[in-house]
Amino acid sequence: MASRSDLSFWVFFTLLVIAHFILHVALGLRETAPDLLTVALLLGVRRTRSSVAAAIGLLLGLLQDSLSLSAFGADAVVLTLLGYAGARSRDLFEGDSLLFVAAFLFIGKWLHDFGYWLLARDPSASGFVSLFLVDVPIAALYAAVAGVVALLLYRASTGER
Amino acid sequence: MLDFDGSKKARRREAAIALGLLVVALTLWLLPAAFQSSVRKAIQGTVLSPFLSAQAVLSGRRASSVDVTEVRAQRDSLVAVVSAQATLSEENRRLRELLRLHARTGPSFIPAEVLQLGIGTAESTFMINVGSEEGVRVNSPVIAAEGLVGKVVEVRDHMSQVMDWTHPDYRASVMTVDGQSMGIAQARHDTDNREQDVLVINGAPFHTDLRPGQLVVTTGRGNIFPRGIPVGIVLAIDEADTGWRKSYLLRPMVRPEVVTSVLVGVGPVDADLSELWGSARAPDTTRVPPRSPGGRPARRDTSTVPITTTGQ
Repeated sequence: MASRSDLSFWVFFTLLVIAHFILHVALGLRETAPDLLTVALLLGVRRTRSSVAAAIGLLLGLLQDSLSLSAFGADAVVLTLLGYAGARSRDLFEGDSLLFVAAFLFIGKWLHDFGYWLLARDPSASGFVSLFLVDVPIAALYAAVAGVVALLLYRASTGER
Repeated sequence: MLDFDGSKKARRREAAIALGLLVVALTLWLLPAAFQSSVRKAIQGTVLSPFLSAQAVLSGRRASSVDVTEVRAQRDSLVAVVSAQATLSEENRRLRELLRLHARTGPSFIPAEVLQLGIGTAESTFMINVGSEEGVRVNSPVIAAEGLVGKVVEVRDHMSQVMDWTHPDYRASVMTVDGQSMGIAQARHDTDNREQDVLVINGAPFHTDLRPGQLVVTTGRGNIFPRGIPVGIVLAIDEADTGWRKSYLLRPMVRPEVVTSVLVGVGPVDADLSELWGSARAPDTTRVPPRSPGGRPARRDTSTVPITTTGQ
């Protein structure tokens, strides 16, 4: 049976996912809103089994892909892998400090964007260097900050450490 | 340390399940477009439906709150007024032009509001607030007052998804207004600044020479875009392909990111819309020539026969 803390975490997780779609779909914000879907996945997978983490990644990826015309399924593949790898990363790294969480979110978001680019890139597009050395790190930093702020709010409201 | 996966055996089981899920994801990714479309529609119609509906409502409210914004701007400062009115007058100008165009197109085009999507995976697409109930179908052309914006790719009851010309899969069969040169227009992306995306005409015959400033319109081939819709203006030659073909850069007539209202084609696609934009009607060398009294096809000018046969 799920504990109260588990329940409140998954409510927080759901709120992050809803916030992502409110910002990006309902309000139509693009890069001005952080990628809370990847943040939610990365925070969630640290608390669950690797198979469940992969399943969550698949479901979130499908939601994100449902508005994609040319690369349907690409985000599902990337988030499934990211979910599994994120859950397995517990074997390698452990930590709950905000700095650790920020670094985890930053790397996770960077890997997500890189994986998505590999699967769904436009062959006519150029500018790999500027994309992955400038644009993606900024987006990853934004996601990491947003994730840490969200986590702080969650910890403040639940008293969890 | 949290140990969710337990023993080695349990870890192997977890890995096997994750691998199965990855196979499912890969299968979805590699599915034919028709199957992907039905999955997409199902998700859009269920889980994402509240968010898409919310955007339609918010977009409507945003439009109706323009007056309030203007009043606030007047109150705040003169600079704000000037700035707000500049934006509003630009939007008004676009809407007036669209209305004029709509009056000319008649019932074969219906007006629609643009709902921009902020998801990275939906780049180069947007939603419109009309769907199959209003007569919209897959491949319906979408135009603005200045010219071609894109085409409808997914249709629901009262909402549709549009692929604009910046999408990597976008292709349009185009020609110069005089019908002398033809080719396939597609987007050329600038990753650093998507607002600098331009169109490229590929496959123009090498003997043709397009001059900067020439207007390029749709040919009407492929039963998607009616003939004569402005697509872009020739900027310069892009490259000459070892003796057979040339590519030209085009300045697109419409920037999708600034479009707020569009017209969606619900009539026959074999119409010639050249006169809507006042561009001269080009001789139609792309259609099957009429049969001569003797039953043999009439001769046509082979110098203008298109070199491409893709259907869009």
